[in-house]
Amino acid sequence: MDEISTREAALDEVISGAYVFTVERSARGYALNKMANSLSSSDNRARFSEDEAAYMRGMGCSPEQVDLVARRDWKGMLESGASIYLMLKIGAAVGVALPEIGAHSAGMTLAEYQARKAH
Amino acid sequence: MAIAIGGIGTSHAPTIGVAWDRGQQQEPPWAPLFSGYVPARAWLDEVKPDLFLIVYNDHVNQFFFDTYPTFALGVGATHGQADEGWGKRPLPDLPGDPDFAWHLAHSLVADEFDPTICQEMKLDHGVLSFLPLLTDTDWKVPVVPLAVNVIQHPIPTARRLYRLGGALGRAIASYPKNKRIVVFGTGGLTHQLHGAQFGTKNVDWDNEFMDRLETDPAGLSELSIQEYMERGGTEGVEMIMWLAMRGALGENVRRVHRNYTAPFTTGYGLLVLET
Repeated sequence: MDEISTREAALDEVISGAYVFTVERSARGYALNKMANSLSSSDNRARFSEDEAAYMRGMGCSPEQVDLVARRDWKGMLESGASIYLMLKIGAAVGVALPEIGAHSAGMTLAEYQARKAH
Repeated sequence: MAIAIGGIGTSHAPTIGVAWDRGQQQEPPWAPLFSGYVPARAWLDEVKPDLFLIVYNDHVNQFFFDTYPTFALGVGATHGQADEGWGKRPLPDLPGDPDFAWHLAHSLVADEFDPTICQEMKLDHGVLSFLPLLTDTDWKVPVVPLAVNVIQHPIPTARRLYRLGGALGRAIASYPKNKRIVVFGTGGLTHQLHGAQFGTKNVDWDNEFMDRLETDPAGLSELSIQEYMERGGTEGVEMIMWLAMRGALGENVRRVHRNYTAPFTTGYGLLVLET
């Protein structure tokens, strides 16, 4: 376990504050990522929209993962092993696009991010 | 005899497809990107390829992490379109070229590259975002797609991609039928889609990369994945796939066209090379 943590930490240092998507993260976030992947079908998107928590529990997500999505905690999802590409599918299903997801993961609101970019 | 007549390096992004579908080709800030493709399309109209061999990456649309291949080759007669989460675009399925693709499978494995062979392969914006900018969407030119894992680490090295390009070149040269092939390397250029540095681009590195892809691909292939991520972002590492295109073209190439714009979160590059 120590060896795995060290390897992850080494990759995280590559880009300050980035969560490099390693196989270790992929394993930890597997249920959440698998749920997000299921949102590639319009039927599943409709079922998810009806009751997000029930849909997620049915897909094997943990209470913590259900909570992260309920709070739209994009940074928290990344920390728990979500892939940015699969978070974009969750975003598509709930009407949130990349700029807002990315800004949140950087610790900013969308407005703060856009203001910073304008300078 | 088949021949690699040239190569195209191009960025891909879902937003390019959205803008194209909405007819925003002439609108700022999209116009410099779309107009940049016009000379590339004119070149294709002139050289009349009969096959596109496209090295790209799937963004968890065809493959999920239950089974995520490092290299995957689409050998089907057609390639469908993936629903990336917001519904499919109004585009027909793409024609494939099973005969060439199976030749490529044999040749690559004999050359010690071992792709997962896919008789069905749904394509995402890694191919479909830029293709309508380069050809009519009745898709007269068949496509053989080769997907590379650049999103779940460990990912292959830049050197591996450059050598893969060499193997693609040998496969093309050994195909007995007449075929004029354009090889694509897609992805990048620099972008950081998450974390503290979200939205960071590196315009200098993007342009240095395009310079050196022409003149010093071997040098580019010696950089580590960590160096690519440091310079171009964790998602910008996709740009290593351009090295597969370059490796397929041999030593001497002539630049036909080059364009670069960076209006949003990604550096958008386009490079057309002729053998």
